[in-house]
Amino acid sequence: MASMFHVPMPSENMGYSFAPQAVSGEPTQHSFYPYTDNGGSTLGITGPSFCILAGDTRSTSGYNINTRYAPKLFRIGGSGPSNKNSRLVLSVVGFAADGKALAERLDLIVKMYKYQHGKEMSVSACAARLSHVLYNKRFFPYYVHAILGGLDEHGVGALYSYDPVGSYEREQCRAAGAAASLIMPFLDNQVNFKNQYIPGSGTGEGASRVMEQRVRGEKDMGEDEVMGLVRDAFTSAVERHIEVGDGLQIMVIGKEGVKETYVELKKD
Amino acid sequence: MFIARSEYDRGINTFSPEGRLFQVEYSLEAIKLGSTAIGIQTGEGVVLGVEKRVTSTLLETSSVEKIVEIDKHIGCAISGLQADSRTLIEHARVTSQSHAFNYAEPLSVESCTQSICDLALRFGEGADGEESIMSRPFGVALLIGGWDEDGPALYHAEPSGTFYRYDAKAIGSGSEGAQAELVNEYHKSLTLKEAEKLALQTLKQVMEEKLDAKNVQLASVTKDKGFRIYSDEEMKEIVGTLENN
Repeated sequence: MASMFHVPMPSENMGYSFAPQAVSGEPTQHSFYPYTDNGGSTLGITGPSFCILAGDTRSTSGYNINTRYAPKLFRIGGSGPSNKNSRLVLSVVGFAADGKALAERLDLIVKMYKYQHGKEMSVSACAARLSHVLYNKRFFPYYVHAILGGLDEHGVGALYSYDPVGSYEREQCRAAGAAASLIMPFLDNQVNFKNQYIPGSGTGEGASRVMEQRVRGEKDMGEDEVMGLVRDAFTSAVERHIEVGDGLQIMVIGKEGVKETYVELKKD
Repeated sequence: MFIARSEYDRGINTFSPEGRLFQVEYSLEAIKLGSTAIGIQTGEGVVLGVEKRVTSTLLETSSVEKIVEIDKHIGCAISGLQADSRTLIEHARVTSQSHAFNYAEPLSVESCTQSICDLALRFGEGADGEESIMSRPFGVALLIGGWDEDGPALYHAEPSGTFYRYDAKAIGSGSEGAQAELVNEYHKSLTLKEAEKLALQTLKQVMEEKLDAKNVQLASVTKDKGFRIYSDEEMKEIVGTLENN
């Protein structure tokens, strides 16, 4: 899923509308391209009683920075325009306008659901609905990689990640967007302990030596530890990817609701 | 019975000067002509029971369908014009399936009832742009029983579009007597077995024919088994437990 976005070098396809410079005398072909890649990255990690979503706040077009503060995280549901008491968060990365349109549409659906059924929508129900919202635009997709976070019916952190046409999966952690290929392997290693072996656990000799994998118990993912991972992931991504930077918006969904924090990132 | 209602009887959606919609009120009368249906909610699930009017000895009783499935966790007992119920049931089934498709969760019993009542009032000429499907109110009342995330639930839906939740409810021709019996006999700690028996005993009191395993039908909705209509063998067994039968 991480390879859904082919990221071109920022020089090509800078705007919605362009007309390649024609040789003088030749006719000029104009064209309109409805999508832009606004760069940036998002990530989500779940714990035993919380779910953390984060996204950088830079918005780019090619080598330009549109703004240093364009949130990629949206509260979904709750009441009123400020989404008071909401328990769901959607992160979107890719084409920012589509992301915002998608978030607003999902927000409307979740709010209407509460009026129609007299109860809060569960994350699993919202996840299924979001999949359909995306698939319904199968032939003119929302150009985004969405991640939906919340707490499931047992109060356990729940994270669902999507491709632009609605394929989805519940996961422990997921990175999306421009720096997904930089952050995801880091999360595999640090969250799921991939390629970490217990020293001295090996049996056999040489190439046939089999070592015991280090495994993380789901219970021992502390909120502070995960927050550390999120910040490390982004500070590193900022160093290596030009479309990531400026600020980091973080939302933690826990028993008491959604807490939002903002951390500065390098602006270079 | 209804005299001097002349002008306001004709327009389906016309209020009388006293503020009444006669056609809707008449549709409620149509239900009182229907066969008796009973719903009882217990902690273990909901029991639905209906009287089947066997008008001829040549009638195949299994073709009288007065209890139907809406979804695997919701069932419905019907009293009134059977044909009208087809439209409502079809709508409820579609709504339930569509909800499961969209949200990957079962529709709640209340939302199912609400969807039926939304349809119940869509009669008459219909507003601009809104398609109306019926020229008159539906002549049928439903007892909707189910099991959702909040446990068992029993609702009564009328052609007027109103619905209420009940612990136990009787509709149809024998409803007055049956409801009085239910008020006397119902208690919160009723088991499913006791509710089955209570439903049959109550039906027995208000039925004109002698109750047997062929002219009544029972169904239940429980957490584990969902909605199911009782087989002939089960009916015989339960009918056998009734006194003087």
